[in-house]
Amino acid sequence: MTTEVLRKKTGRYLCGLSMPAEKKQMQNWLSCTGDNKPAVSTKERELIEDEIVAQVQAYVASSLFFPKQEPWWRKITASF
Amino acid sequence: MRRNFTPNQTLIDRLLLNDTTAIEELSRRYCYSLYSYCMSKLNSIEDSKRIARNIFIDLWENRDTLPLNFSISVHLYTEVRKAVVQCINVRLNKDINIPAIEKQVIPGFSIIELQKARQPIHNISREESKYPTSIVKKRRYEEQWWNKYATIHIKELKHTLQKMLNFW
Repeated sequence: MTTEVLRKKTGRYLCGLSMPAEKKQMQNWLSCTGDNKPAVSTKERELIEDEIVAQVQAYVASSLFFPKQEPWWRKITASF
Repeated sequence: MRRNFTPNQTLIDRLLLNDTTAIEELSRRYCYSLYSYCMSKLNSIEDSKRIARNIFIDLWENRDTLPLNFSISVHLYTEVRKAVVQCINVRLNKDINIPAIEKQVIPGFSIIELQKARQPIHNISREESKYPTSIVKKRRYEEQWWNKYATIHIKELKHTLQKMLNFW
C-alpha cells in the first residue's frame, strides 16, 4: 500500500463513504494491538497521567471561569 | 497514590452538575489507556497526549448532551479510534512525517498483520474457566475414580444376581 492509497482510504473512512471490505480492513488495523506497545515504568506512566490530567484540569477550570453563552433551547425550556 | 472508587455512572451524573473533580477522575482513570493505544498506532508522544486530552475536553464540553444510556468505555473506544484515523489522515494531507507513516503504519495493513485481529477464541470449558487448573485436575481424577469403581461394583452385583437367578 502507498501513502496515497492510505490517504484516500482514511478520508473515505472518516466521511463514512468506504466500502464494507475497506471498512473492515481499517477496523481490523485499529483492533490490532499489543506488539508495539511501549514499555513504560510506573514512574513514567504517572508523569504522563499527571501531565494529561493537568491539561484537562486547566481547560475545565478556564471553561468555568469564562462560561459559554446559554443556547437558545435551554433559555426556552427554562422559561417553561 | 489516592484511589477513588466512585462508579463511572456516578461520575458521569456529576458532570451535569459542573463537577470538575468528576472529569478529573475520569481522565485519571482512562487517560493512560488512551495514550498507550495512540502511541502503539501513531508512535508520536505529542499526538497521543493531544488526542487523550482532547477526548476528555470534548466529553466535558458535550456533558449536557450525553444520552441516557451513555457508556464511558464505548464512548472512549469509538472516539480514540476515530481520532487515530483522523490524525493519520491529517498527517498525510499535510505531508507531515510521511517516512514514519511508510515505515510504521503501512506495514500494519498487510494481511499477516491484520490476521492477528481475527485470532480464534480458544474453547475453554465452563469449569476450566471458573476454577484453577489444580482443582479441575483433582475433580477429574475423582470423577474417573468414581466411574471406574462404580462400574466394577455394578458389574459384580449384576453377576451375583444372575448367579442367584440361575440357582433358583
